[in-house]
Amino acid sequence: MIQQAPVSSCRRPGGKLRRRRTLVALSFIAPNFIGFALFTLIPVIVAVFMSMTEWSGGSLGNMKWIGLQNYEKLFAVPQRYIDRLENPNFFSILGLFFERVDIGIALKNTVTFTVITVPLTMVFSVALALALNKAVRGAVAFRAIIFFPYVSSTVAICVCWNFMMMKNGPINQLLMLFGSSFNKTWTADSNMAIWAVIIVSVWKSMGYYMVIYLAALQGIPRELYEAATVDGANKWQQFTHVTLPQLSPTTFFVSVMLVIGCFKIYDTVALMTGGGPGRATKMLVTYTIDEFNASKYGSACAIAMVLLVLVLTVTVLQFRMEKKFSAD
Amino acid sequence: MKKLLALSLSVIMVLSMVGIAAADDGVVLKVVAWDVNTTTYYAAQKEAFEASHPGITIEYVDVASQDYGTKTSTMLAGDDTSDIFMIKEVTDILNWNKAGYAEPLNAYIERDGYDLSGFVGMESGYAFDGVQAGLPFRSDFWVLFYNKTLFDDAGVAYPTNDMTWEDYKDLAIKMTDASKGVYGCHYHTWLSAVVNWAVCDGVNTLVDGEYDDLAYFYNLYFDLAEAGACMPYPETQAAGLHYSGAFGNGNIAMLPMGYWYVSSLISNIQNGTYEVKDWGITAVPHKEGVPAGASFGNLTGAMINAKSANKDAAWTYVAWLCGPEGAKATASTGNRPAWVSEDVASVMSSVEGFPTDEASKAALLPSMVSIEIPGVDHASEIKTILNEEHSAIITGEIPVDEGILNMNDRVAEVLGK
Repeated sequence: MIQQAPVSSCRRPGGKLRRRRTLVALSFIAPNFIGFALFTLIPVIVAVFMSMTEWSGGSLGNMKWIGLQNYEKLFAVPQRYIDRLENPNFFSILGLFFERVDIGIALKNTVTFTVITVPLTMVFSVALALALNKAVRGAVAFRAIIFFPYVSSTVAICVCWNFMMMKNGPINQLLMLFGSSFNKTWTADSNMAIWAVIIVSVWKSMGYYMVIYLAALQGIPRELYEAATVDGANKWQQFTHVTLPQLSPTTFFVSVMLVIGCFKIYDTVALMTGGGPGRATKMLVTYTIDEFNASKYGSACAIAMVLLVLVLTVTVLQFRMEKKFSAD
Repeated sequence: MKKLLALSLSVIMVLSMVGIAAADDGVVLKVVAWDVNTTTYYAAQKEAFEASHPGITIEYVDVASQDYGTKTSTMLAGDDTSDIFMIKEVTDILNWNKAGYAEPLNAYIERDGYDLSGFVGMESGYAFDGVQAGLPFRSDFWVLFYNKTLFDDAGVAYPTNDMTWEDYKDLAIKMTDASKGVYGCHYHTWLSAVVNWAVCDGVNTLVDGEYDDLAYFYNLYFDLAEAGACMPYPETQAAGLHYSGAFGNGNIAMLPMGYWYVSSLISNIQNGTYEVKDWGITAVPHKEGVPAGASFGNLTGAMINAKSANKDAAWTYVAWLCGPEGAKATASTGNRPAWVSEDVASVMSSVEGFPTDEASKAALLPSMVSIEIPGVDHASEIKTILNEEHSAIITGEIPVDEGILNMNDRVAEVLGK
């Protein structure tokens, strides 16, 4: 057992005083913690429990403990599909999982979306921050314009983009000028629908992360660039050897926030594609809501747990990498 | 904890009722319903019933619409004794019946020789394994709206109550005039607006796991879309185009839609929001082999609480409400009662702004109404699957056959077949 840390003052405070101090400390934490506990911590714990039950609402007495059956059902590849395989082996069944099973499709879509959106958003926000970091004319106005999507209503944004990406919309016409032969509404095309969501997500959030990068850029000491110039480094070398390393704490923060945000993608998908066409943009959260609407609360919680594990794993990995990176 | 909550809720409920109950002689029926103050027909029904049935008073218990299913299920689970519960979703009555909250009506129907013919089959939506768990009093089944001005301008005869879908297709193509931006027909984005017609035969349902019969209606859509007779689905969906605005703009000749559209159409024409001026309704077209005038729709109804202390009085009310007399009270407010009869049709067609022609009036007398999606276990899961495959089929992302095979496979998986 760890003993209580010795108090540096010559006289140990009496039990009464200590208790009072503890109470004061707790009272400072309480407002935040009560909110967190009521609306986050307890629901998460309840969700873990509920993911192992079968319940379709109504009386709590109907709740049935079924252990891991929800998870088994989620991840099972239906036999009828396996039977149709000419050569059933591990890989072909895994393929079926990502092609036929709801959770497999949702995982595939969510990961694809995240893997593309996170780096794209980071590249765009760094580029914008670099471009607008200089004291050029109108830089402030441009910053405001680029930040604007972040504070606009998602519904309005999605409606506008949906119009722009329609069959005869401006985007397809612009692409046609560059020789594209794509002539379909983006959100109604199985391959392009996810790109529509990615483009809108990147466009919407890059302004916010640009502001964060701008702040970080302004925190880089001038002397580093001066020293690099003295050493004969060109602009590109300055960027890769001074700017990027100096930005790495920010990049870490941005990547964690982005990854978590991307895994939780819902609003843009719900507004633009509704998860379709077919299941082409069905995400983990979209799927959770489907199950919730079908009153399959246990199953919905199980999907939420899959999402939780996924986000947790990736975040822990990122923290590990960050530690290793900063130790180097 | 749950019991305590339910108990305290019902105690509060009962206490709030005692004051009212004590004031009156005779029977007071507590009717649980949603949006009592904003739904016009409740007051009309109460007034008409109390006038013809002295000694029975109706007292509504108002429950917020969005919480209706949860709240009422909690009340019933907590041994609430309110006499009548209005039925919002078919799945509600399915669950109530399973839990034994619903008083089976079969014995009452038999005892009184209660005539069910006016429901033209709709009562089956509330029947589970032969147990009649409730009766419908409102049904917004689908009809075909058409723009008379466009037909007059084109010199084409109006649609009729006995069209087949083939006639409809020909007529829609005939009415299409790209130079004037006129579409022959319009498909709203819902699955029900495209393929629910397959259930009009009263045999097929959308929950039976067999969807081959939907292919005809998907192909019908593709034929019409190819001919330019309707807006293509991807555009309607991406633009978020609502059917009301689409038809209201006055460039759509025919629109199959639920009867609920009538009241908003009338009021929007009266206040000048819509371009469309002169319109009519007919029965929805039918497929060969299905009787003309067959349609589908959703129900709103009433259930007697098995724990009610006034079951006989409650039956008197439910029988009246759902039958021809109650239907007139419902119809007088411009709503579509479930009961179908000449009398009811006259009340409905006398509402100001309703088309005056005979065909429109005749469209108020459907020959048969099937349930859009019956209340069964897994109904919402099945709906999700159908909607997903629907969006892939109708955007042309997968061939009709493949989509229907997917529906069959995936629903079979849900049903454990």
